[in-house]
Amino acid sequence: MATLRLHSLTAASEKIPTSPFAPSSRVLSASFHCNEKRVSIRMTINAMGGGAKYKGTQMREKQLSDMIKMKVTEAKQVCEGDETSDECKVAWDEVEEVSQAKADLRLRLEVEKKDPLESFCLENPETEECKVYDD
Amino acid sequence: MAVCPVYTTQSLNSTCSISTPSKTHFSSHHNHLVFYRTSKRTSKRGGSSSCVITCSAGDSQTVVIGLAADSGCGKSTFMRRLTSVFGGAAEPPKGGNPDSNTLISDMTTVICLDDYHSLDRTGRKEKGVTALDPRANDFDLMYEQVKALKSGIAVDKPIYNHVTGLLDPPELIKPPKILVIEGLHPMFDERVRDLLDFSIYLDISNEVKFAWKIQRDMAERGHSLESIKASIEARKPDFDAFIDPQKQYADAVIEVLPTQLIPDDNEGKVLRVRLIMKEGVEHFSPVYLFDEGSTISWIPCGRKLTCSYPGIKFSYGPDTYFGHEVSVLEMDGQFDRLDELIYVESHLSNLSTKFYGEVTQQMLKHADFPGSNNGTGLFQTIVGLKIRDLYEQITAIKTAAPLQATKA
Repeated sequence: MATLRLHSLTAASEKIPTSPFAPSSRVLSASFHCNEKRVSIRMTINAMGGGAKYKGTQMREKQLSDMIKMKVTEAKQVCEGDETSDECKVAWDEVEEVSQAKADLRLRLEVEKKDPLESFCLENPETEECKVYDD
Repeated sequence: MAVCPVYTTQSLNSTCSISTPSKTHFSSHHNHLVFYRTSKRTSKRGGSSSCVITCSAGDSQTVVIGLAADSGCGKSTFMRRLTSVFGGAAEPPKGGNPDSNTLISDMTTVICLDDYHSLDRTGRKEKGVTALDPRANDFDLMYEQVKALKSGIAVDKPIYNHVTGLLDPPELIKPPKILVIEGLHPMFDERVRDLLDFSIYLDISNEVKFAWKIQRDMAERGHSLESIKASIEARKPDFDAFIDPQKQYADAVIEVLPTQLIPDDNEGKVLRVRLIMKEGVEHFSPVYLFDEGSTISWIPCGRKLTCSYPGIKFSYGPDTYFGHEVSVLEMDGQFDRLDELIYVESHLSNLSTKFYGEVTQQMLKHADFPGSNNGTGLFQTIVGLKIRDLYEQITAIKTAAPLQATKA
């Protein structure tokens, strides 16, 4: 990780995104490398970051992605009649809310490298959500 | 029980905190006679009240900062840089609701104002209001709780769950040294505005917003360029009506625009960032370049410093903004190397750093955060240092006052 950090300023223009949301390409490539050797323990993957640790978080990620799809379709339908209607505004606002929630989760996992269920799962490791995902 | 004068919460000299064995509930009290109510409450263990009122000067000097931003809550880069200036990483409350929006570090607590939604997602759909609309937010509760926290009283704050779209059971928030309220409406309500010791507005131009949202959403299967555009367009009327006007109240505005260094650049990768600082704000002295109050245009790249394309351009000067006197520091371009950053830092003044190179050090500490190579990271870091300076000035005043009182 230390090497990655030192290069981050020099590798500036293409690699560091200016958006607060886009995952760093360096982190993505690191996690792809780790996923190939999925046999190697969770610890390595977590050390490199990028990805949900617990089943609950994986489910949450999928749930949010599905919600985005659904709400975009819904918004397009609602706005067909009148683009300036309140219903149309609210529909796209919902899309924004869920898109932001997904991006926040992704940011937390990939940049901060912390699973939001971490402290909950330390206390409750036996729950369904706290199963460490393994396939 | 020690003799202890009970002060009203308006007093600057000392404020009181109440500790009881059972959970304290202060969220819905409308007056400051909280002390009287709880002293009559008997503890569940039976017998007389086991409440202890402790008064201490120097305690609960909560400084309140407001940050208006459209990009979600508490997890934003700005917040992370800010809390980092004070030391320690900000984390969600341990053991609580995993969907909590709150971030807590040693010195700071960051509250997401979405928690004060009066309508959940279903409610907003029924009434036909977006989250941007003031009708979807409970400003009375926001005011009461921010006021309570500022006075050193813990509150039970609701949680708005962005995943389910519901209002979850509240979480206890203890008064921190620095309270940051972040969200869409920190400066909308006048009463809340008056509680803020410093306020910041993050003003992202439409082109940059579009570019950022594309980067954010294009990886999602549900999104396309059209849907991203449609979402921005649909929210724009409410945004312009309710959120944008708050910038006139901000002590500092960080304006993010497309670069002027590259003709027809529409990728939004190189940014022009302006730090608009209000003059005459207590405990806040604007950053300046070379000569305070004059107008400067500066390209640091040249003989002493080599920069790669498109380079860096700074400007500084006085201006007016919504009728206020302001100083504007502007950076267009990108940092490529460490020495560019240090070079620039050495030429800026009034940074409120504690040692030479502190800005650079802070930027390096978070080199992987977005904006670390341009004005967004630089100005967010500088504002963080300014807030630290403001906090230290305010707490110095509050600690000095009781000493004077005892002399009298």
